[in-house]
Formats: sequence, structure tokens, C-alpha cells
Amino acid sequence: MLIGGALELLAIGWATSRPITNLPLMIWDQDHSPASRELVLALENTGTFLLEDQVQSLSPIEDALNRGDINAALIIPPDYSTQLTSLLGKPTLNVILNGAESIPAREAQRAIEGVVNDLGEQVVLQHLGLDPDQTAGFNFSLRVWFNEALSEAYYSTPAELGLMLEFTILLFAAITFSREKEFGTLEQMLVMPFSSLEIILGKAIPVILVGMADFALMLGVVHFAFHVPIRGSGLLLFVLALGYTIVELGKGMAISVFSKSQHQAFLLVLMIGMIDFMFLGYAVPVESMPRIMQLLANIIPAHHWLNILRSIMLKGSGLAALWPSILALVILGIIINTFSLLYVRRKLE
Amino acid sequence: MSFRHLWAVTRKEIQHIFRDRATFILVLITPTVVLLLMTYTLAVNIEHVPLAVLDYDQSPTSRAFIQRITAGEDLDLYSQVDSIAEIEDMLIQGQVKAAVIISPGFSRDLLSLQGIDLQVIIDGTEPESGGFAVEHIGWRAEAFANEILADQFQIQGIPLESLQPIDLRVQAWFNPGLKPIIDLVPGLISIVLGFPALTVALTLAREHEHSTMEQLLVSPIKRTDLLLGKIVPYILVGLLNVMLIPIFAILWFRVPFQGNFLVFIALSAIFLFAELSMGMVIGVFMKSQSAALAMSFLVVMFPGFFLTGIFFPITAMPEIARLESLFLPGTHYAIITRGVFLTGIGLETLWPNAVMLLIIGTAFILISALFFKKRLA
Repeated sequence: MLIGGALELLAIGWATSRPITNLPLMIWDQDHSPASRELVLALENTGTFLLEDQVQSLSPIEDALNRGDINAALIIPPDYSTQLTSLLGKPTLNVILNGAESIPAREAQRAIEGVVNDLGEQVVLQHLGLDPDQTAGFNFSLRVWFNEALSEAYYSTPAELGLMLEFTILLFAAITFSREKEFGTLEQMLVMPFSSLEIILGKAIPVILVGMADFALMLGVVHFAFHVPIRGSGLLLFVLALGYTIVELGKGMAISVFSKSQHQAFLLVLMIGMIDFMFLGYAVPVESMPRIMQLLANIIPAHHWLNILRSIMLKGSGLAALWPSILALVILGIIINTFSLLYVRRKLE
Repeated sequence: MSFRHLWAVTRKEIQHIFRDRATFILVLITPTVVLLLMTYTLAVNIEHVPLAVLDYDQSPTSRAFIQRITAGEDLDLYSQVDSIAEIEDMLIQGQVKAAVIISPGFSRDLLSLQGIDLQVIIDGTEPESGGFAVEHIGWRAEAFANEILADQFQIQGIPLESLQPIDLRVQAWFNPGLKPIIDLVPGLISIVLGFPALTVALTLAREHEHSTMEQLLVSPIKRTDLLLGKIVPYILVGLLNVMLIPIFAILWFRVPFQGNFLVFIALSAIFLFAELSMGMVIGVFMKSQSAALAMSFLVVMFPGFFLTGIFFPITAMPEIARLESLFLPGTHYAIITRGVFLTGIGLETLWPNAVMLLIIGTAFILISALFFKKRLA
């Protein structure tokens, strides 16, 4: 399980931390002119598309869209080049996107719009007899902070690490008592001369060790295999990881005592883990969620933990910037663990 | 295969699910609850991205420009600052996701058509919001520049229509607004249906742990009957979910259902069979429930989440990941659900995926039976 998590992170991070490319695009060029070929070439050069064989009618496009084989189709009209070169002409380009996969569809739309805008601008300048080098519109200079190359891995791998770490801790914590209950060995343990606190601590320490070892391994994968930097203090990161592990441990212990069997404990872990995953900001930033979800995010420890993880790794933040998240995590930790301890002790006695 | 034996094992497993009401409720409601939550949180439109603006120009034009970029629902003016250091602070604290720096010669350059330098800084730790901000600032800036350009041309008597020489018409089939919610709901079904399926690996491990496996083996039940009998109840419970989920999807999330409901149910049953067989293989190899569950996570759930093309298109993955995705039941089922919900295609197009699911399921069951025997020998 320990090594498995790190290996898994390696595989998934590798597969998903790349820009969206190779989207199948089908083109029906009715014009066959240098201008239309220039358009096709410009689309190919974006790297976003994988061009299918050109077709000569609408029906193969319809078929391919129905089968989900392509993400987009472009139809170039027969009068494309004549319209384009005439001063008042305005050729119509039709684009059909496969809305059944909206994420690649939007990417395709973005790339096509970019190419067409650039081409249009050139045509306007030609019509006006202006030199393209002399006249320029907006000259965007974009700077990306904390992630200069806009590497997807910087963004996705910490969230994937967060998900796997949480599940590991919850799973190990959830089996501690549910296993003993299922086998009926809990009674034996209770008649032994241990105080309930000793039993709880004895069960908790291995989980903490497993969680921290798993964290160290996965952090190694993220750092060395995906070159995500650790710009802040590594010590602070580990101290806070330990804190987060203890918070999740409290949740796992409560699940463990609540469940009558391991099966039930696992189902609860699945449900709670998936709910928490929503707030890691993997697919959608929490700031963009509905108001009620944003409020809910505040009571999810994983949400604060991921903010801390990202900030220390990418922004190099220290205590000065992180204290609100740390405070939130501490408060949640105290509430969860107090409740969990009381609950577990009551159940044990 | 003996149906009497198969039924005996099935009944035993059903009793196990029903004996404890909490377990039964969890098996039944987990998929729907998780689907509801996932959809709510994942299928949102990004808006109100907070922005910092540093205006070195301080002219009426630059103020009009700031007004323009923050006029909509998409970008919010968080603060107008006086120095780069302030921007840095705000980005580190996470108060803003992007910043715009307007250079001193902004209005002069704009009016003389010499090109304007606009600096945009985004928070790279959240490329979703950052990329969104860049895109929207770009659109607004271009529209703003075009208007000024148009004003100038009109003075020179050049018609405005010629400024946009190509008429680009984009239409999205099956999901006209390209709303993420519409295609995420069908996509996520394969993930949430897999949840209780994951636990099937536990049922074999449970027999090992409780040392009841020997009893089962001395009974006259064949190995394949035993394995299938363990799967059938979960297919049945899964099918209950399959009926429940479209109701939520259609009534609550307004996802269209274009295809045939019976085809959907039938193909869902095949998917559950394939997914559960995959879980079975794990159950055969793992001796304890916790190990079985950990393996199911690694082998079934995480790849099912990330490699089946629901969030990240398969065509953009590296070769090996694409190959692996072919053997994941979720990949085929995502095509099926999107097909029946959104495109309205039926068996005539989906049969290769159905066949692939059958092959995957049968192969895994056979592998389980084979190794089951070896491990016991």
C-alpha cells in the first residue's frame, strides 16, 4: 500500500500532467485553395489537433460525432478564398464541436478562435495596406508566478498527492477498531489491563507512522519525478503534514468505532473521502464554487491542507502568509479529535 | 455451471448485505450521494475571479479600460494598487488570482496604433482561474482596442464590417452551451457505480479472514459458481442505482436522455459485471480485507478516475496510458453513458464497447477462477 501509493501517483501524474493535445479534428474543405490550406496548416501548427483524413460531405462528420470519434469538425465553404480576398467579402467558417465532452470541446474552440483571429487580423492589415510589423494591437506580456512554465504537474500532482494521502490515513485508521469488532477480539483487549487511552494511542501511532512515510514517499515522487519545487521550508511542510495526519486520524478512528464491520468502515471512508476530494481544487477552484460549497469547504481539513501544501511548495510561503489556514486546521483538529476521543472512549468503556 | 449452486451463494451474499442495515443503506445510497456532490462542486462555471490592477498611466482611457475589463461577472476588481510589491503580497496571500499592469504610455500608444504593452500576472498554482483571467482580459482588451480603432477608421471613412473579415460560426452538438454539468453527470456515473463494486473484492477476503473459505470449498459448489454468486448480488444492487441515477440526472440536473432506457440498463449490467470481475481478481490474490481494499483503490478506483477520459481526454494521454485505458471498464462505460444520454446512439454504434466489456469481464472471471484453484492447491 505504501509503495503502491507513490507508484500510482507516478503513473497518474505522468498521464495527466500534460497540455491537452491530439484532439481529433475533421475538416471538410470545399475550397481547395492556397488560403484554405493555409488555414488548415495553421490549425495543425497549434499542436492542439490531430487531423483526420479530409472528408467530402457532411455525413462522415455526423457519423464521427455520433460515435464520439472526433472532438471538432471544421467546414470551409467553396468561396472561402474569393470572399477572403475581396474587400467587403466575409467567408463563413462553420465549426461543430462535440459537446458530449465539454472539456476538450472548449479547448478545441479556443484554439480555432485563436487561429481564425490571427488570420483575420492579417487580412485586415493587408486590406488597409498597413505593414503588419508597424501596426500591432495589444502586445500581451504574460507572466505566470509560482509556475513559470505553466506546468500542469505543478497544479495536478499536489492535489493527487492530497487525495491519496487522505485515503491512506483514513483507511488505516478505519480498520483499527472495526477489524477487532468483526473478529470479536475487542472484548479480549478490553479485559486486559490497558486504559482506553493507551489502547487508542497504541492504535494511533502506527497509523501516523504509515501516513508520514507515505507522505515522504509521495513528496519524493512529486519533487523528483515531476520537478515540482519545494520553495518554502521543508521542515514546516513536514510538521504541518504531521498535524494534518492527526486530524484525519481522528476522523478515521471515529468511523472505525462507529462501524460494525470492516466492509461498512470502508464504505464510509469512500463516501467521506470522495466528498473531501471535491474540495481539493482538482478540477475546479473552490473560489468558483457556489457560495454554500465555499462555506462547506472551510470545515474540510483537506481543503486547508492543500492550500498549505501548494503555498509552501510553489509560493514558498511561510507562517506569516499561512497562519489562517494553519489556524483553521488546528481548530478543526481540536474539534474532530476531542469528539473522536470522547466517542471512542465511551464506546470502549 | 449449476444455477442451484449459483443461487445458493447469491442468497448467502445477499443476506450478508441485508443483515446489517447500515451496510445496505451505504451500498445503496453511496453512488447517488457522491454523484450529487461531485456534480455540484465540479460542474461550476468559473466567475468573479479577483483581480488587482496597477495603473501607471492614470489617464481617462486607462480608467475606461479598467472599467471595461471588470464590468462583467467574470472578473472582479479586488483592489487598485500602487506598486508591484502590493501585487506580490496579494498573490502570495491568495487574495487575487491575477493582476494587470498598465504601462505609462497606455493611452498614447493606443491612440497612435503603435501597439500597447499590457502586462498580466497570474497565479500559476491555480491555472484554471489564471488561464480564465488571461483569456477574458484578452477578449475585453481586444474589444476595447477595436472600438478605438473603429473610431479612428470611421474618421477616415473605412467601413466597420471589414474589421472582422471572417465569420466564424461555432455550434456545439449534444450540449449547445458546452455546459460541463451536462457531460460530467453521465461521465461520473461510471465512477460512482464502481464504489460498491469495489467492495466485492472484500467478500472473498472476508471468507479467508474468517476461515470460512474451507467450508465453502468442501461444499459441492464449483469455483466459477462461487465467484459468480458473489458478483450477482452486487450487480443487482448496482442496477437499483442505475435506475435511481438517471432520475436525478434528468430531473435535478436537467441532463437530456436521448437514447433507449433498456439499452442503458442492459449495458450497465454488462459494465457492472466487468467492473466486479476486476474486483474479484483482487479478492483472489489478497488474503485480508484491508489489503484487498487497498489494492482495489490502486487498481480499480484511481485509474478509473483519472484514466477513463472523464476529466482528461484519452487522445491526449501518452501511448501506454491510452493502452491501459482500453482495458478499464470505465472507459467503455463512459462512452456508453455519454452516448445514451447525450448523443442518443444505440447498440448499432455501441456494440464494440459492449463486446469489449464482456471480454474484460469474462477474462477477469476466468483469471480469478484459475488462480483461485492454484492458490488453494
